[in-house]
Amino acid sequence: MKRRGWVQRQGWVGYAFVLPNMLGILIFLILPALFSFGLMFTDYQFSNPRWSFTGLDNLRRLFGDDNFYDSLKHTGIFLLSVPAALVLAFLVALVLNRSVYLKGLLRGMFFLPYISSGVAVAFVWMLLFQPSHGPINEALRWLGVVSPPGWFADSGSAMYAIDVVQVWFMLGYNMIIYLAALQEVSAEQLEAARIDGASTRTITWRILWPLVSPTTFLLLITGLIMTMKSFALIQAITQGGPSGSTTILSLFVYKTAFSYYEMGYASTISWFLFACIFAITLIQWIGQKRWVHY
Amino acid sequence: MNEGTMKSKLPITVVMLVAGAFMIVPFLWMISTSLQTPAEVFKQWLPSKLDWSSHRRIWTGNYNFLPYYLNSLKIAVIGTAGALFLSALAAYGFARTEFKGRNAMFLVYLSMMMIPPQVIFVPKFILFNWLHIYNTHWALILPAMFSIFGVFMLRQFFMGIPREITESAFLDGAGHFTIFFRLVLPLAKPALATFAIIDFSWQWNDYENALVFLQSPKLYTIPLGLQNFILENNVDYNGMMAASSAAIIPMIVIFLLGQKYIIQGISSSAVKG
Amino acid sequence: MKKKWLLGAASVMMVAGLLAGCGSDNGGNNGGNGNANGGATEGNGAQSAGGSDAGSGTGEKIKLTLWGAVPEEAGAQAVLDDWNKANPDIQVEYVRYVNDDPGNLKLDTALLTGQDADLYMNYTLNRLQKRVDAGTAVDLSGSGYDIDGQMGPDAAQWKIGGKYYGIPTKKNMGFIWLNKKMLDDAGLPVPPIDWTWSDLRDYAKKLTKDGVYGLLQHDAMFTATIDGTVAGLGLTKPDGSSNFDNDLWKQQFQILHDMMFVDKSTPEYGEQLTSKMPVDTMFLQGEAAMLSAGEFIFRNANNLKDYPHDFQIAFATIPKVTADQKDYKYAGGLGDVLSVNAKSKHQEAALKFAEWYADGGMLPMASGGRIPSSKSVDNKQAMDLMLKGVEDKYDADSMNKVVFGSFPSFQLAVPQQVLDARKEEYEKYFLNKQDLDTTLANMAKEHEELTKK
Repeated sequence: MKRRGWVQRQGWVGYAFVLPNMLGILIFLILPALFSFGLMFTDYQFSNPRWSFTGLDNLRRLFGDDNFYDSLKHTGIFLLSVPAALVLAFLVALVLNRSVYLKGLLRGMFFLPYISSGVAVAFVWMLLFQPSHGPINEALRWLGVVSPPGWFADSGSAMYAIDVVQVWFMLGYNMIIYLAALQEVSAEQLEAARIDGASTRTITWRILWPLVSPTTFLLLITGLIMTMKSFALIQAITQGGPSGSTTILSLFVYKTAFSYYEMGYASTISWFLFACIFAITLIQWIGQKRWVHY
Repeated sequence: MNEGTMKSKLPITVVMLVAGAFMIVPFLWMISTSLQTPAEVFKQWLPSKLDWSSHRRIWTGNYNFLPYYLNSLKIAVIGTAGALFLSALAAYGFARTEFKGRNAMFLVYLSMMMIPPQVIFVPKFILFNWLHIYNTHWALILPAMFSIFGVFMLRQFFMGIPREITESAFLDGAGHFTIFFRLVLPLAKPALATFAIIDFSWQWNDYENALVFLQSPKLYTIPLGLQNFILENNVDYNGMMAASSAAIIPMIVIFLLGQKYIIQGISSSAVKG
Repeated sequence: MKKKWLLGAASVMMVAGLLAGCGSDNGGNNGGNGNANGGATEGNGAQSAGGSDAGSGTGEKIKLTLWGAVPEEAGAQAVLDDWNKANPDIQVEYVRYVNDDPGNLKLDTALLTGQDADLYMNYTLNRLQKRVDAGTAVDLSGSGYDIDGQMGPDAAQWKIGGKYYGIPTKKNMGFIWLNKKMLDDAGLPVPPIDWTWSDLRDYAKKLTKDGVYGLLQHDAMFTATIDGTVAGLGLTKPDGSSNFDNDLWKQQFQILHDMMFVDKSTPEYGEQLTSKMPVDTMFLQGEAAMLSAGEFIFRNANNLKDYPHDFQIAFATIPKVTADQKDYKYAGGLGDVLSVNAKSKHQEAALKFAEWYADGGMLPMASGGRIPSSKSVDNKQAMDLMLKGVEDKYDADSMNKVVFGSFPSFQLAVPQQVLDARKEEYEKYFLNKQDLDTTLANMAKEHEELTKK
């Protein structure tokens, strides 16, 4: 690595850049996080001053809790939305980057869902997915589907309907970051490829996709994290129902903490959630050498 | 990729417009509902006759949204500005300088992003009380200024800036700070604008933190104001949708301002790939 | 280009400077930010400190904060205006919270700080219990206010460990709202007080027409009607096992299920869940003949401008499951339990307000259906306030019997986890994912497991 030479000269400079941010993170995130880690070993209930150390009871309870396994499964289905939104957003960003008129308007339209507040959105999805007379099922019937799914009215399909909403929601976020990334791709590179006679498909997947791989890496990791952490949308649409079928881990944490006030147990579930995301991220981090090109 | 002839551009535009229309159905519904009467909500998609009373109500009635607007603006603007600067600094540190434990530290950073916010509400509450910022806007602004996502995102983009550019400046005797301010920041404008838009939207829509850490109605932000429409056993949907439609306007303005920088990008002559 | 970025950097530095300023004069900054609260409490402290010079009695202005879930414009602000006008030395300010999980969390955090939360309303026994545990509710036994005497026997349902930690201030009501015109057209009389779910099913079936449901249920009432049964039976059997598999529930669930899927006289569960059915609007627009709901419908029902209707409304009790069911308890009793925060600095003043509120101060909220429970308030007066100008829209006879009648009531102390688990199970049944026997067995099992912990 011949380039390293110039970077190494001033070792302290790096800290100077990182330090201001790090101090804030330490105070506002790491400290509270350590506190919540400690809560894992207590039966602390918010608003109840009496509590005691319970050792590993919370963990034992977690692994014997059916609701936990259910919500784990639902989280798995929920995560399907991440790669779906990613690939879709890449394609949309490509198209909206060059090959259309009204770029500003179209970008705005696709980004709008992401900057909305959840409540209005929740209601309208309910109406769109309404099983007996909602437009989505009307369309399916028109296309010849005899008995379309009940969507939010059916515990078997509700989670997949949530996935659709989540893709719709995250699309704009992914798209706008991809758009920013595409600005770093120089016109010369593309021109050269085109002169070589590469097809659109080749240019897309052989040239552009690798070029934006650091962004894809970013979006994959942040997408997984944000999706695993998010619960507001589900809370607004289904409150985790019907019959618990859309209760994902983070919503389970939310209910345990805010509805039941069992902070100790909620901390335990969250740290498990944390461990899951951390493991996934670590794998990606190690695996990035294979496909992320800086 | 095809710079495009009319022939290929026009049909694609039409297709994307249709898809885009689908994306904004909820907003059309929101606006439509805000113009309906209470008895029409959820029963029809369009108002029988435009009723502007809900829109008037949110600016002149019991729940005047102007103070909520100003509070939200204050928090989101200061928070985003702070996050933008501090994240860019740290991102440069992680992307373009080398120091002991850099990668490990970055992983710690990333991992902190994974903590579900619900469980740190209580410790944060205790902390804010101790810092005397509970029930002040600082309880929202200060934490918002330290964004892990911002560091991660900008780092990824800074790493994408060709090393040749910064290296030659370095050889000309420029220090890291000069390179950061004069070279990297201007080059990363699309990324900075993107982060600003996203971060602003998070703070603009932040409900949970505002709910727990702000107590005095005078300090309330828009998402808290929207709660006024949740009545005891039902919801005033007309008012809520009128307020929600109005609340989205500043976000659209920010987006329109920001996306200019995204489009501009790095002019191809400045960068040799 | 260069200048622009320097400018940007400079503005960020300014922000940082602002922050530093905030750190150094924290107290002042609090006041500046939150004039309403921070400033006022500080002023308060300063004044009481200097109070000895000024002499007592004058200038000792106390400021209290009351938290409640009633929207300001539904009478809450009018109540406080009355008080504040009459009591210049004790000014009360209102903070409205939404009675959901996050809203209650907000209240509970505020209670813990002890500032800006002196008085608050509780709406369920569960929540009150948590606040008593947290030590944020004053034991009112020694207050001198005779809650049993003022509020009647139903008040005792709100005792925790034999003590009152709040004053139940209003009458809760739950009943079936009837479209009298539709009943008349179908030749059906207003049902008797002791009707049953089978009767209700018949009624609903006969009243169902194209575009008209026989029965609609408000979410809040769905569980209230089934809770009445276990409130009478007891949550557990004599041997300590759960009573959630009782036969009466089985019958009621079966009837409801039949009404949804056989008679189609009430919306299917999933349908109602996903349509966000505005049940009160639908009833008032003549799209349902009967509506199971509480007194909170009065607000819209009395609003003839937004919800015009030409029919009279009659009332029926919530039906029992069987005619010979003993000990059925009706959703109702008392509600709006007003507590004083044990961490408040002005408990005496707060209590003074609470008593005034309960003994008639709350009357401006009567128009929204809040009938005071205190015997110091003339029931007639409250009723007049509620029905002013719309008397002819109601069937007086059934209204007197049902709305103003008295029935055995209950407050159920079941942990939220149990309620959620129960809901999860019966939803499976009403979504046809699980048969009735399994559902009841699972509900009982979950109940036992969750209460064991």
